[in-house]
Amino acid sequence: MNEMRELAAKLLTEGTVKVVIGYEEGPAGVRPAFVTDPAKADTLIFDSRCVQNLAVYLNPRRSDVAKLGKLAIVVKGCDAKAVAGLVREHQVKREDLVIIGVRCGGVVRCADMAAELTADTVADRCQDCEVREPKLYDYLVLPLPPPPPKSTRREDKMAELAKMTAEERWAYWSEQLERCIRCNACREVCPMCFCVQCVADKSQPQWIPTSPTLQGNVMWQMTRVLHQAGRCVDCQECERACPADIPLGLLNRHVAQNVEKRFDYKASDDPSVAAPMGEYRTDDDEEFII
Amino acid sequence: MTIKMISHEDLAALVAELIAADTRVIAPVQAKENPAATDYKRIQRFEDATLGFLPRRSLKEFLLPQSEVLLRFQQHKGEVKLEEVPLTPPKQVILGAKPCDAAGLDILDKVMNWDYRDELWFARREATTIVSLLCPGLDCSCFCTAVGVGPDSTRGSDVMLIPMEGGYLAQIVTEKGEALLGSRAQEVTDSSLMAKAEELRQAARKKVEQNLPVVPAEMPDWLANNFGHAYWQTVALRCHGCGACASICPTCHCFDIADERDGVEGGVRRRNWDSCQTGKFTVHASGHNPRNTQNERFRQRVMHKFSIYPLRFGDLLCTGCGRCVRICPAGMNLPEIVGQLMELAGKEPQGSGQ
Repeated sequence: MNEMRELAAKLLTEGTVKVVIGYEEGPAGVRPAFVTDPAKADTLIFDSRCVQNLAVYLNPRRSDVAKLGKLAIVVKGCDAKAVAGLVREHQVKREDLVIIGVRCGGVVRCADMAAELTADTVADRCQDCEVREPKLYDYLVLPLPPPPPKSTRREDKMAELAKMTAEERWAYWSEQLERCIRCNACREVCPMCFCVQCVADKSQPQWIPTSPTLQGNVMWQMTRVLHQAGRCVDCQECERACPADIPLGLLNRHVAQNVEKRFDYKASDDPSVAAPMGEYRTDDDEEFII
Repeated sequence: MTIKMISHEDLAALVAELIAADTRVIAPVQAKENPAATDYKRIQRFEDATLGFLPRRSLKEFLLPQSEVLLRFQQHKGEVKLEEVPLTPPKQVILGAKPCDAAGLDILDKVMNWDYRDELWFARREATTIVSLLCPGLDCSCFCTAVGVGPDSTRGSDVMLIPMEGGYLAQIVTEKGEALLGSRAQEVTDSSLMAKAEELRQAARKKVEQNLPVVPAEMPDWLANNFGHAYWQTVALRCHGCGACASICPTCHCFDIADERDGVEGGVRRRNWDSCQTGKFTVHASGHNPRNTQNERFRQRVMHKFSIYPLRFGDLLCTGCGRCVRICPAGMNLPEIVGQLMELAGKEPQGSGQ
C-alpha cells in the first residue's frame, strides 16, 4: 500500500498532477477518493473491496473533476479497458493521464462487503481474468495477490436463460425490468456512456418514454445495451449501481458474447486496437443486414 | 397517549380480516431477486410480511406513485376532450412502516398543501392508515435522531407497535389507529411492559444518536447565507448524478409531467418522479443550464433539505433514514456532509457569505 501512497504523494508534490483519483475507506464502505493534498495520500487504499471503475471520472461530462487539473488515476486491469475505450473513442488523450496500474487479486461484488473473497462474494468479471496485472499504465504498483476463487454464478445464469423458450425469457426480463425506476444510475456510472445528449433525454422527438412503465423500461435498456455492443468493458458498474437490483450485467454479457462470436473481438485494454463498431472492414460478417 | 397490547394472533387475524375486506395491506416483504433486501409490497397473507426490515425504497410510492395518470385526452378534428382520473383511492393499511418513513409523509403534507393543494396526495393520505414499528436503529448510516425524528418517533403514524414477547405494545396516536385495532387491542395492566418499552426506545435512540449530533436550529439560516461557500466546490466530485438517492428518499417529491400518446388521437398525462441530481432537471429550453455541474446539483439537494424547506415550512426535509447512503454507488454520505457543514457553521458562524 505504501508504494501507491508514496507514488501519489510524489506526483502531487512534484506537481506532475493536481489530483490522484483512487480509493479510500468511507464511513460506510470503500469509495472513490480525490486526493489533491500530498499529505492526504496516506488515505489511499487498495484491496478486494475496491470495486468501482474509476475510469468513469475521466468522462468529459465530469466537468467538476476536469476542473481540478491534470490527474492520475488508479486502475485495475479491468478498469484499464475503460480507459483504453475512452482513449480509443477520443474522449480523453492518453498523454493527459497518469495511470497508476494496480495488480489485483479480484474484487467483491459490492463495496460494503467484507474483504474476504469467496465463491459467493467474488465479482462475476473476475472469473478467468487475464489482466490481473494491467498492461496499460505509467506506473505499476503493489504485489500480485493470489487469483480469486472460482464462481460459476454468472455462467450458470446465462446457461439457464439460454435454455429458456423466448416466452419464458420474455417473462423473466419483464419481471426484472418492471422494477426499473428510470433513475439512470446504470448510465451515469458507466464509463462508456459519455454522450452529451443521451437518446433517453431527448424530448423532440421523445424516442424513449420517460415513465417507468415496462414498455419504456425495455426500450431504454435495449438501447443502452445495444449502444454498448463492442464497447462495454464488463465492469458491471451498471448492475452494482442499480437500486432495483436488475441483473443488467447479464444483458451486457449476452451482447459481448455475440460480438466476440461475430467479430472475434473482446474489450481490449490496448487503445490502438480498433473496436468492431469503430472501424469498417470489408470482410465483416454482414448476414444480419442482407 | 393510550398504550394497548395486541397479540401476534390477533394482529394476524386483523390483517386477514382487512385483506378479506379488500383493504390493501402493505408491509415489508423479502425481495425475490435479493433475499437480503425487502420492499414494501401488498401482502395476501400476514406471514409474508418481514416486519422490522428496512425496505429498499421508502413508503412514499404508496402516496405519490412513481408514475401516475393525471388525466386522459382525446383529440378529434381540432376538438380536445379531457377526462380526469377518479379520486377514489383504495383503502390501505401500511403495516410495519419505519418511523422515518411515516414521519416523511407528515413532513410532505406541508408542501402538498402549500400554494396548491394536491388532491391526489390527500385522497390517498385519507385512505391510508399507518401502523409503524419501533425501529431498533439499524447501522452507521442511520441519523434520524439528528433531524428531529428518532427510531421511536410516532410522527406520521396512526399507531406504533413495539415488539414484546407474544405480541406488540400498541401506542395509539390517532383515532384512525384506535379504530383500526378496535377491540383486538387490550388495555395494558402490566407496568413492567411499559418499562420494557421505554428501555427499547432508549436503546434505539442511543444507538442512532452516536452517528450524528442533532442538527442545530441555526443551520437553515447558516446554509442560506453560505450558498457560495468554498465547501460546495468539491462536495460532489464522486457523485454520479444518478438520482438513485432521490428515488428511495422518503421526502424527495419532485416530479415531471409527461404527455404520452396512446394511438393517434388519444393519450395520457402522467406524473413521474424526477430528481434534481440529474443534469436534465434544470435545463432551459434555450439549452442553458443554471445548475450545470454536479457540485451545484448536490448543493441543491442539501439546500432543499436543510435550508429551503425548513425556512419555508419549519421542518427539515430529511428523516435520517440513511437510504441515500446505503444505495449510493459512489459512496456519497449525507450524514457525513451534514456533519462537516455543522462543523463549518460552528467554526465560521458568519461563513464566507455569497
